[in-house]
Amino acid sequence: MNSALGVAGIVLGLLGSICGIVVLAIGLRRGNAALIRSGRSYAWLVLGGAVLCAVAMQRALLTDDFTVSFVHDHSATTTPGVFKFATMWAALEGSILLWTLVLASYTAIVGWRERTRTDDPLVGWALLVMLVVCAFFFLLLAGPANPFGTVAIPEGYDGPGPNPLLQNHILMAFHPPVLYLGYVGFTVPFAYAIGALITGRVGEGWLAGTRRWTLFSWACLTAGIIMGAWWSYEVLGWGGYWAWDPVENASFLPWLTGTAYIHSVMVQERRGMLRVWNLSLLCATFSLTILGTFLTRSGVIESVHAFSESGIGPMILGFFTLIVVVSVGLIGWRGDRLRAPGRIDSPLSREGAFLANNILFGAFAFVVLLGTVFPLIVEASNGERISVGVPYFNRMSTPIGLTLLFLMAVAPVLPWRKASGELLRHRLLVPAWVGAGALAIAVLLGATGLSALLAFLLGGFAAGAAGRQLVLATRRQGWRGLVGRANGGMIVHIGVILIAVAIAASTAYGRQTEMKLAPGQSAEFAGHTFVYRGTEQRLLSNRDVVEATIEIDGSTYAPALSRFRFGSTIIGTPSVASTPRQDVAVTLLELPATADGVVSIRVFVQPLIMWLWIGGGIMVFGTAMAIVPGRRRNPLAAVSAPIEVAGHDEIEVAVDDDPAPSGVPAEV
Amino acid sequence: MTESATTESSKTDEVGEADVPARPTARPTARRSTPWIAATVGVVLLLFIGVLATRKPSDQKGISSPLVGKAVPPLAGTTIDGKPFNIDDYRGRYVVVNFFATWCVPCIQEHPELVAFQEQHAATGDAVVVSVAFNDTEENIRAFFATNGGNWPVIGGDTGPTILDFGVVKVPESYVVSPSRQVVAKFTGVTTAGLNEVMADINKQISGPR
Repeated sequence: MNSALGVAGIVLGLLGSICGIVVLAIGLRRGNAALIRSGRSYAWLVLGGAVLCAVAMQRALLTDDFTVSFVHDHSATTTPGVFKFATMWAALEGSILLWTLVLASYTAIVGWRERTRTDDPLVGWALLVMLVVCAFFFLLLAGPANPFGTVAIPEGYDGPGPNPLLQNHILMAFHPPVLYLGYVGFTVPFAYAIGALITGRVGEGWLAGTRRWTLFSWACLTAGIIMGAWWSYEVLGWGGYWAWDPVENASFLPWLTGTAYIHSVMVQERRGMLRVWNLSLLCATFSLTILGTFLTRSGVIESVHAFSESGIGPMILGFFTLIVVVSVGLIGWRGDRLRAPGRIDSPLSREGAFLANNILFGAFAFVVLLGTVFPLIVEASNGERISVGVPYFNRMSTPIGLTLLFLMAVAPVLPWRKASGELLRHRLLVPAWVGAGALAIAVLLGATGLSALLAFLLGGFAAGAAGRQLVLATRRQGWRGLVGRANGGMIVHIGVILIAVAIAASTAYGRQTEMKLAPGQSAEFAGHTFVYRGTEQRLLSNRDVVEATIEIDGSTYAPALSRFRFGSTIIGTPSVASTPRQDVAVTLLELPATADGVVSIRVFVQPLIMWLWIGGGIMVFGTAMAIVPGRRRNPLAAVSAPIEVAGHDEIEVAVDDDPAPSGVPAEV
Repeated sequence: MTESATTESSKTDEVGEADVPARPTARPTARRSTPWIAATVGVVLLLFIGVLATRKPSDQKGISSPLVGKAVPPLAGTTIDGKPFNIDDYRGRYVVVNFFATWCVPCIQEHPELVAFQEQHAATGDAVVVSVAFNDTEENIRAFFATNGGNWPVIGGDTGPTILDFGVVKVPESYVVSPSRQVVAKFTGVTTAGLNEVMADINKQISGPR
């Protein structure tokens, strides 16, 4: 029953997307407005198909319908309800289903939002592109990633349950959907970019339309990545939050190019420049989401996440090839037409800083991509087997990260077109003092190490610049000073700086040790006292948990080992004493053999970890502020005009954020 | 590496050339540059796709290990059934030495592959599987094999020295030992296809032109 419903959903979605593609293609080719208009109704069919699939899957999971192959392979009667719900994305087929659901929803929303201009060829092409992507994912579901196979089950079968690591923390219910909202969201600006390239519409209208999509997707991707790091920190118990695993890189790569895009697109809106580059970035971001899926799901790369999932590899790679050929071909064909008449007047200007930002983000993405695929390339050239480790990524990303911090400090105070030295000195005075203050405090607290100290100095510098902008804006406009892209962006910057400082501090000053304690025995480490009190066993529906009671500085913590019902798998659950100043994480390594035996624990003491999560929250909040409609700025003429005289500090800032004097309507 | 390097640098060039044309006089040539850059990027990406398309899934490839190409370390002990085991008795056959633990998830995931492999070769007897348990009790091991299937010698007890000899980093790890007692491949997470492929390669080398 559930299988049949699911398969019906797949067929409905696949047929809906194919019919939509055909109708739109004919309509666009003949210039038939009525056909183009009717194309969008197919988006509803596609959404209907995806929802039907998801409902059938959830129904099967929640009612333990083991005749559905996905439920048979990945769920169990003993899995708690919320994790049954989350089991949908605990394995390959279900994640493809989730992806399809999100994509179909976005397609329907695009169709609905553009209802007033659906006979516009650009919108028609964008919808067509989205339907092609939908069709591809429904094909995956129909073929190699079909979760709705039917199986005969033996009497009394109660299922293996999802991977124990994935039913160990509530974040698992949120991290994948949020990440996918971001991942998949970049399909929308990509679709518009392709539409703009095909129709050759060089105007910026489509940009304003996709701006919120991009920001929303970016915020979700950011939140998803941070949640993933948090989950890893809370569950895996190795004391870290980021391991440069191919799966992590796969989510980080589109984030990097997406971040580059949301910066450089401002240059295009203000000055009409960098059009080719922006289109390339959108295409790159979308292709990287597909490439990432290929790398992590086809099994070509060794990763904890990639285990024998090779069936869908060739199809995804084929789709990636299609995207590359179409994007590169279109850009090559249209590129010269999109060239802007203007040029960058001076490297010491806002647009110059955005360009530098883009080069850095591009380099960052390249470094990460290279590290991820390098083993494959080496193997292809000489058959050797190598692996690229964490030191490579850390060594390469540290200088890039520090330079980005520096840029974050300088760029927000730079005016468009050209800055003078005097102006810079005036505007950077306060940020520089904040940076120096941060460095002084760090040194007083005993911080050492070049890159960490640089991170604190530049972090303070950048925070000063962001804070200065926000203070000026709120002083002028009250609470509205926190709203709009420039100011929301500064809030995001503060979140990024918190994360950068937290990463620097936890990497440079994190310490760990292992200790063996008898009941009642205590030990000292890094200024904390650890006392072992005993163990306690609890029986839950899906697992037995043994908790060790450890007192850290007088408060009780309970790291645990869980033995899951299936296959006697044992998973550790760390316990973390978290304060704004530092985290003390305790992992249980070995249980005592007898009741009064010795327990073996590992202790991680890392400063400022909490600020990673707070910084992530601030980034999302800042993006939300940036999405709230600000006021349309006064666009500068695309062609270079005489340079403004320096020294008009507050006036220049005012121009940045004040409503357009000419009464241009608020941003759409 | 060079391929991707070109990708990025040519993109960066694109920005530079596309949007900072230095002098108006230079513009006519710069205007024609995009198709060329796009073509270069396209070719590089297609090469990259070619590389990706020709890679085998990692679970079908061995992992490099200093042990590969060397003689197998001594492997002897008592199986959980109480019988003696010595790898020297299996000269002339392939031996897959599988290091596992009952509490390890990937070990459970790879186990059916080993079972299938053993069943394929049970009739001809040209290959056998032996498992070495890592830090486990006999009771757990029995339960593991009862749940997951498989019927081959399992060495339990104090396997520390063996694990050191093989240089096992983490379970699961499997080593393929050739009929001439040489370690020919190492896997972390095996597949039946991967094991058979190693055997086919080695058989070809043995019977091929000398």
